[in-house]
Amino acid sequence: MNNPDRTTVVILGAGKGGTALLELLTHLPGVAVAGIADQDASAPALSYARQLEIPITQDLLSLIRRPDIHLIVNVTGDPNIDGLVATHKHSETEVLGGAASKVLWDLVQHVSKIQSQLFQTEKLAGMGTFASGIAHDINNPLYILLAFSENILEETDIPVIHERARSIIEAGKRIQGICQNITRYARAAKDVDTTPVNVNAKLDEALKIARYATILQDLSIVRSFDEKVEVLANPNELFQVFVNLMTNAIHAMDGRGTLTLSSCCENGIGKISIADTGCGISTENLEKIFDPFFTTKSPEKGTGLGLHNVREIIKKYRGNLTVESQVGEGTTFIIELPKVSNSM
Amino acid sequence: MSESKTAGMFSGRKSEGLVLVVDDEPDVRKVVRMTLEKAGYDVVEAEDGEKAIEEIKKGENSLLLNLIITDIRMPNMNGIDVLNYYRKEWPSVPLIVLTGFPDLDMATSMLQHGISDYLVKPVEAEKLRASVAKAFEQREVRGF
Repeated sequence: MNNPDRTTVVILGAGKGGTALLELLTHLPGVAVAGIADQDASAPALSYARQLEIPITQDLLSLIRRPDIHLIVNVTGDPNIDGLVATHKHSETEVLGGAASKVLWDLVQHVSKIQSQLFQTEKLAGMGTFASGIAHDINNPLYILLAFSENILEETDIPVIHERARSIIEAGKRIQGICQNITRYARAAKDVDTTPVNVNAKLDEALKIARYATILQDLSIVRSFDEKVEVLANPNELFQVFVNLMTNAIHAMDGRGTLTLSSCCENGIGKISIADTGCGISTENLEKIFDPFFTTKSPEKGTGLGLHNVREIIKKYRGNLTVESQVGEGTTFIIELPKVSNSM
Repeated sequence: MSESKTAGMFSGRKSEGLVLVVDDEPDVRKVVRMTLEKAGYDVVEAEDGEKAIEEIKKGENSLLLNLIITDIRMPNMNGIDVLNYYRKEWPSVPLIVLTGFPDLDMATSMLQHGISDYLVKPVEAEKLRASVAKAFEQREVRGF
């Protein structure tokens, strides 16, 4: 933990400010969070820290007194704690508290707001990719629905009318299902909290959306799922990650080929892979694919933010995103995320 | 509408001609059948291109086939491929594409490839019948 090149930080206060700070600080390679303390055992950032395997305590003094700490960030907003820190901290330890920590917290909030807006913008911009596919899936049942309704107006045979009505209802329900899928996807991630996510169900849900990325229907889908893979994440963000990677895969195959989705658990890690048999990515481009605004797609098909956002989201949950690709053979993206621990 | 050569083939009544309807959705085929039978056409249905060929090769249908109405999304085959598939089998039978894709580029490209019409679902019954009638007229003019 005490790498001399890293700034060792402890956080006092595990309320909203503590959560936002943890999220930010755990992202920074030059910072090691050595612990977080709050007198209230149910403070939200404590459970988040537990998931991140950052030591937690209710004993603030034990953290304040540590000699190996470079910086104490006090976000308790409690003047008594300010006094406690001043009295008990090691002479070398610096303190960020009071108005300074308030400004820091405001900045963190601001960054996180911009980040989530960026995710949402990219997602909605990407919806254009699906327009044709969605229209097709709605137009088919809509045709059935309109034609049979008109027919019923003239039809006098009751059993035939009933049969038509059943077809109309079925067509209506199909349209309803499509609309539900789209709205679920378009919903902003900020509306939901981090929670255990059933990976397999989320992969299937994402596939329903990603399929709209092609007008073709000769995609083979191979699903190889372990029975129960649960990871801790914001379900909407994970949904976005999966849709994004699958859409890329389908585009890479020009709608024709095999899309392989797999999930498994290995040593407390949930591993998800999305593989295509598409055109592959050149070594030269492979280095750039996660850069913001890098894209090989035409403007209406990609913003160049998709993979960048995917990586940011995975990083946020202390996960890993790796890619393997062979030009002409295909590409595999592998996501590794910490599994939900049973001890919680 | 000209005098039909296939009159009375299936139902004993006078037929306007034989139309092959290819779509993977049974209810869509049913709607098209309903719409065309009302105008006196006979309809043969198939769920994909392969089944269509099977269906038409049965009996004497192949000789009598006047028009194909098809979706352009089928297994292993899409868009222009679909046209080429039918062209190979029935070079002189006119094609109407009936699809859920409101795609102007695709429509233009297909019309350039000589299809008779590109219709987007949901299509009104009158419009479908008019399109079919037009395809039949063109057929007569070309002397197929």
